[in-house]
Amino acid sequence: MKQYKKLVSPYCFWLFALTIIPMMLIAFYAFTSKGTEITTFQFTLDNFFKFMDPIFLSVLMRSLVLGVLTTAICFLIGYPIAYMIAKCKENTQTILILLITIPTWINLLMRTYAWMSILSNNGIINNLLQSIGLGRVHMMYTDFAVVIGMVYNFLPFMILPIHTSLTNMDKSLTEASMDLGASRIQTFFKVTFRLSLSGVLTGITMVFLPAISAFVIPKMLGGGQYSLIGNFIEQQFITVGNWHFGSAVSLVLAVIVIVLMALIYRVEKRTNVSNEDEEGGNKRYGKRKKIRKGSMH
Amino acid sequence: MKRFVKVMLCFAMVSLALSGCGGRSYTHTLRVFNWGEYVDPDVINGFQREFDCKVVYETFDSNESMYTKLLGGNKYDIMVPSEYMIERLIKENLLQKIDWSLITNKSSIDSKVLNQNFDKANEYWVPYFYGNVGIVYDKTQVSENDLNMGWEVLRNPKYKGNIYMYDSERDSFMVALKALGYSMNTTNQNEIEEAYQWLIEQRKTMDPTYAADDTIDAMKSSEKAMAVMYSGDAAAVMLENPDIGFYMPEEGTNVWFDGFVVSKECENLELAMNFINYMISDENALNNTLEVGYLTSNTVAAKEASEGDFQGINAYGIRMDQNDEVFAYQTQDVKEMYSDFWSKVKAQ
Repeated sequence: MKQYKKLVSPYCFWLFALTIIPMMLIAFYAFTSKGTEITTFQFTLDNFFKFMDPIFLSVLMRSLVLGVLTTAICFLIGYPIAYMIAKCKENTQTILILLITIPTWINLLMRTYAWMSILSNNGIINNLLQSIGLGRVHMMYTDFAVVIGMVYNFLPFMILPIHTSLTNMDKSLTEASMDLGASRIQTFFKVTFRLSLSGVLTGITMVFLPAISAFVIPKMLGGGQYSLIGNFIEQQFITVGNWHFGSAVSLVLAVIVIVLMALIYRVEKRTNVSNEDEEGGNKRYGKRKKIRKGSMH
Repeated sequence: MKRFVKVMLCFAMVSLALSGCGGRSYTHTLRVFNWGEYVDPDVINGFQREFDCKVVYETFDSNESMYTKLLGGNKYDIMVPSEYMIERLIKENLLQKIDWSLITNKSSIDSKVLNQNFDKANEYWVPYFYGNVGIVYDKTQVSENDLNMGWEVLRNPKYKGNIYMYDSERDSFMVALKALGYSMNTTNQNEIEEAYQWLIEQRKTMDPTYAADDTIDAMKSSEKAMAVMYSGDAAAVMLENPDIGFYMPEEGTNVWFDGFVVSKECENLELAMNFINYMISDENALNNTLEVGYLTSNTVAAKEASEGDFQGINAYGIRMDQNDEVFAYQTQDVKEMYSDFWSKVKAQ
């Protein structure tokens, strides 16, 4: 293994140039004020105090609530789909997974524009409703439209890791559970679901993180009056031109994300330990590796 | 799956190789930064052919985002900002002077557009389009009587959930300040705060949708009863939807000018001047104005357009009455005050 260590260095450089340095710049801007010139800055905490305004905090709150809602809906739709796909024959599975991934080949903007023409007042749904004699329903620029857009865009990221963890599961464990007298439902909750938890947690991470920082989808489907934390940051940079305040808010969001990631990581570790007890230690390493591979999809 | 990846990779490589051969090399390139949908693309193509050069054309959706990109290190030769942004760019020493000796089409430029306060001697800009801001309304939904309320009609509870506000700090505050009877360039903190309360009150009672260019398509299909809109966009909407009217309240509105400016970065000043001159020639100005619907500052083209395609469309025109104002440059403090209030309006 040792001789491969050097192969990491390009990645380290990449990480440093494109993640560490920009993060440091954000932190620098967040703690300074006065203009964008390096020569005129002053250190200050004002940007953070400014964000403590209840109006601004409510934006953060709204983003978190919407993120949780999106993740929950993705999970409720995604898990049964992943489960059903995992039950199919191997060839069918490949096709079904391909069908799930195909929409992600199309640009996010295009997909969201498509939703705009579906949901708008004179859009496809409303025309259909009108032609069968029902009135128009106002959908664009509401929570409903934003959540639909986010669920649609992020659903594959929930299905894929869950599917991977389900297919990599040792079938003999469910057979053993049935043999020992557990019903199908009991087997599902006590064995299958618990063994797929790491896939679920990966799915939750991969949906929740983009959902709380999303700004294109809420902007297009929620309208300009719909402010989530991503839109708020964009607005500070692009239209208001207050890079310091925008950076401070970005930093707050980054800290929240890191804390949440740490929490999820701890939960994941704990479920793996408990799985290990049931499964026998030597299985764990190989399984986790495969899941990681799946989640990179 | 592996095989599929291989095929895709081959395909990608072939297409890369092909694109390498296909491109033609030009002796000169010109980087132009303009508003979205603000030109007839054929005019750009014509310029490329005639002057054997490559125009790298990029678009922006607000003066502020243009400014942010410019400060972010992007290099452009020609930009097309509005008057208050031109004033700011002049003050921050980011522009080169126009060489008027190369602008042979100057004679067609409308004299009332030139010599504005922000650049009295026209040293830094060449006018392109100009116009007002007003209310676009669906005649089947909005009665003429309600419009007599002026800007306040945008807070008439009859139209709750049925209006578009313009998603920009300056335009929204313009509406609020004019509705209250103040100057839209006020620096008086009490007046600005009052305008802020007006906007907050409007958000609470009217449930307006804040949008920018989306409103153009939306109003073409009468999505909502009213929308705050720029005159040229309104003209484009009226061309397609006969139910739409355009109204400018007596309390006054914004008069704006968009024009060509040349950045300090520009090395080939002659080519830049040729481009500007080409864009404002009688023929090309007409093509541009017909394509985008904004009032051109070329008098010959404006006359032809208003007697032709835009006949009877009141949004294709200009009002410069006593109460109508041009945006003025804001000092950093004033700008920050507006921005903070605007952030709060948007965050509601």
